[in-house]
Amino acid sequence: MLLAQTKMNFVWYLFRDGEMMFWALAMPIFFLVLFSFAFGFGNTTQASAFLVPGLIGAQVLTLGFFGVGVMLAQFREQKVLRRIYLTPLPPWVFFAALVLYRLTLLAFQSSILALAGSVFFHVHFTGNVLDMIAMLAIGALTFVSLGTLVGAVTKTAESANNLASVLTVPLAFLSDAYIPLDRFPSTVSAPLHLLPSTQFIDALRGVTTGGEPLAHFSLWIVVLLCWALGGMLLSARIFRWV
Amino acid sequence: MTDPSIAVTRLVKRFGEVEAVRGIDFEIMPGTIFGLLGRNGAGKTTTLECCIGLTKPSSGCVRMLGLDPSNPRELARLRPRFGAQLQTTSLPEKARVGEMLELYARYYALRPATAALCERVGLLGKERQPVGGLSGGERQRLALALAIQHDPEIAFLDEPTAGMDAYGRRVLWGEVEHLRRTGKTVILTTHYIEEAERLCDEICIVQQGRIIARDTPARLIAGAGGGSTITVEAEGFAPRNGIARAGRWRHEAPGNGEGARWVLATELDPGPVLAEVVRAVDEQGAQLHALDMRRATLEDAFLNLTGERIAEDAEAGAA
Repeated sequence: MLLAQTKMNFVWYLFRDGEMMFWALAMPIFFLVLFSFAFGFGNTTQASAFLVPGLIGAQVLTLGFFGVGVMLAQFREQKVLRRIYLTPLPPWVFFAALVLYRLTLLAFQSSILALAGSVFFHVHFTGNVLDMIAMLAIGALTFVSLGTLVGAVTKTAESANNLASVLTVPLAFLSDAYIPLDRFPSTVSAPLHLLPSTQFIDALRGVTTGGEPLAHFSLWIVVLLCWALGGMLLSARIFRWV
Repeated sequence: MTDPSIAVTRLVKRFGEVEAVRGIDFEIMPGTIFGLLGRNGAGKTTTLECCIGLTKPSSGCVRMLGLDPSNPRELARLRPRFGAQLQTTSLPEKARVGEMLELYARYYALRPATAALCERVGLLGKERQPVGGLSGGERQRLALALAIQHDPEIAFLDEPTAGMDAYGRRVLWGEVEHLRRTGKTVILTTHYIEEAERLCDEICIVQQGRIIARDTPARLIAGAGGGSTITVEAEGFAPRNGIARAGRWRHEAPGNGEGARWVLATELDPGPVLAEVVRAVDEQGAQLHALDMRRATLEDAFLNLTGERIAEDAEAGAA
């Protein structure tokens, strides 16, 4: 049932939606090329080694806040959730199918970014593959959970969209995704290190292109999982299907 | 004594300041086609939504098959046992008709019988059409198919023919007849008089969140001064002798100056009365311009009970 529902999510919201296909697959590459030249100052390989994990991290934020949060708010506004609510389909299956669809899409996007990085910009992925996947999964869990909260606290799709934008865009710029935090004055960058998005993106970069083991980031991982748990518990309490 | 399929007790639903449902009670026995008839905004849909757990009652309670739909756990047990076609739900625009039917079959752990179902609701050949490309009536028929595919014990139909053409209404009426034959309970809301009169075993007339009358269509008509109206336009005619006692005669100003118009309201069987009228016209040597007989309808009963017409588009709906 979960797989059937997930498959329909792909078919309905990706394959039959040309615009969505473009945004999902072409935009990350577009960002990579643009930012590499904009921030690279000549050494695009070094810039890409920084940007590829950053862009993947930003994709994770987008997945949580837009891919799950705004989608849920839209489903509620379009009264799709109400119809599902009347069927015996367990709510968690519907939710899990949406997350699974988004995670699979993320896996594709990350692979394309990683491939583009290594082919065009000679980025070396020095880390352990399992570490990379685990870190990505932890981040996805955290931001899916916080994204669900976005869908739960907002009443309309528009307000969900606004909230998601307000969270995603600044977070991506302030969380070491596109711009290295050490370019900020330390009084600004110090508090930014407390953001879950910063901790996730730094950890992801550490285990992918930084050559660090996952264990280096144990504390941050625990903090991220706390965010995930908090978001989940709160969403479960306040999320409305109808 | 069998238990009712649905029992609604002192149901009240407030939305902020607005009291949409103000104390509704009814019981529906298994196998009944039950109609909530009322104008738009009378509280019919809210009542229906309380019955299936989409809306939480402000006070009062609902029991469906002995279970409480406002309790999530009991609602989970009820879901496989009822089906609903609601105005306030929708389907993904890019999903195809066939996909929806197959997916819903899986929700109910059924083997999909898509072609047969499409044939039943007149969507044969539309299996590959996306929901977004369906007409309003086709969407309604798809919603109907999704509501009855799993052969539920109770079907909730909210304004099921709104936006449907004559063909769609026939399909729906046929399916309701099918549900009746198979002993299912149907609860439907409508503001189409003809639909209520034709389909329902019992009707509740809802006005401003309250039930103001509940009976079979025939008894509602009879109770609200049912009977017939005979209109005679004939020069030189006057109700005299036997036909004068057939009912209440009223003299009306002629419509076009072509002689008098007499209107008779009678409780008697209109056939023989009509024959008497024709004989009287003949005997009086009057010249007949127009003769019209109309039995009282549910519309008349509704007007009498509520003091208002059901809807501005009632004529369009009955067409």
